Amino acid sequence: MKIFRSFDISASALTAERLRLSVIATNIANAETTRTPQGGPYRRKEVVFVPRENGGVEVAAIQEDTTTPPRMVYDPGHPDANSEGFVAYPNVSVVNEMVDLLAATRAYEANVAALNATKSMLTSSLNIGR
Amino acid sequence: MEVSRVATSAFSPLEKVAPKASQGNDFAEKLWQALEEVNNLQKEADAAILDVALGKEENLHRAIIALERANLALGLAVQVRNKVIEAYQEIMRMQV
Repeated sequence: MKIFRSFDISASALTAERLRLSVIATNIANAETTRTPQGGPYRRKEVVFVPRENGGVEVAAIQEDTTTPPRMVYDPGHPDANSEGFVAYPNVSVVNEMVDLLAATRAYEANVAALNATKSMLTSSLNIGR
Repeated sequence: MEVSRVATSAFSPLEKVAPKASQGNDFAEKLWQALEEVNNLQKEADAAILDVALGKEENLHRAIIALERANLALGLAVQVRNKVIEAYQEIMRMQV
């Protein structure tokens, strides 16, 4: 039904924010991962949002951050240390991830607020003439 | 002669009623379609909750939104029903 269009828009944003939250959680979980199947340390992942044709948002891609260099820590005893004794740690900054986490949570809340506003609008339109 | 003319005019309205009902723009049919849609939304909400309970759906909000949708559609249907009943009672109260 067409009256539920704005519901679908908010729902798409909620889905997108949930996925973003999952990606942030993955980044935090892998903040110390030095070994991956592709070789090298884990790379920070980020979601890319694009607008949907009929309103709403969707995740176009989950891309790796390849511009920020990995964190080099001198630790010769580490199994993944290179010939000079440095270990490449992921380019994940836990502080930045926490800020992103907060932003994602607040964005989710904002979309829930928009959804509730839509709902109360529809409910009050049912009360016209009563 | 007079009797046969009365008979044909008495039968013709009945024949007209039958094709009218199958045309599809009948009010009753529209109402039925709307009710069908409300019923479908209820079923969708039911399926969404079941999916969450079975662990098939990771997005909880989809189920909740489906519930809200079903709730609003039912509210709309009840309002339409109230208006229809109101109009019916208004007519029935009419002095003849």
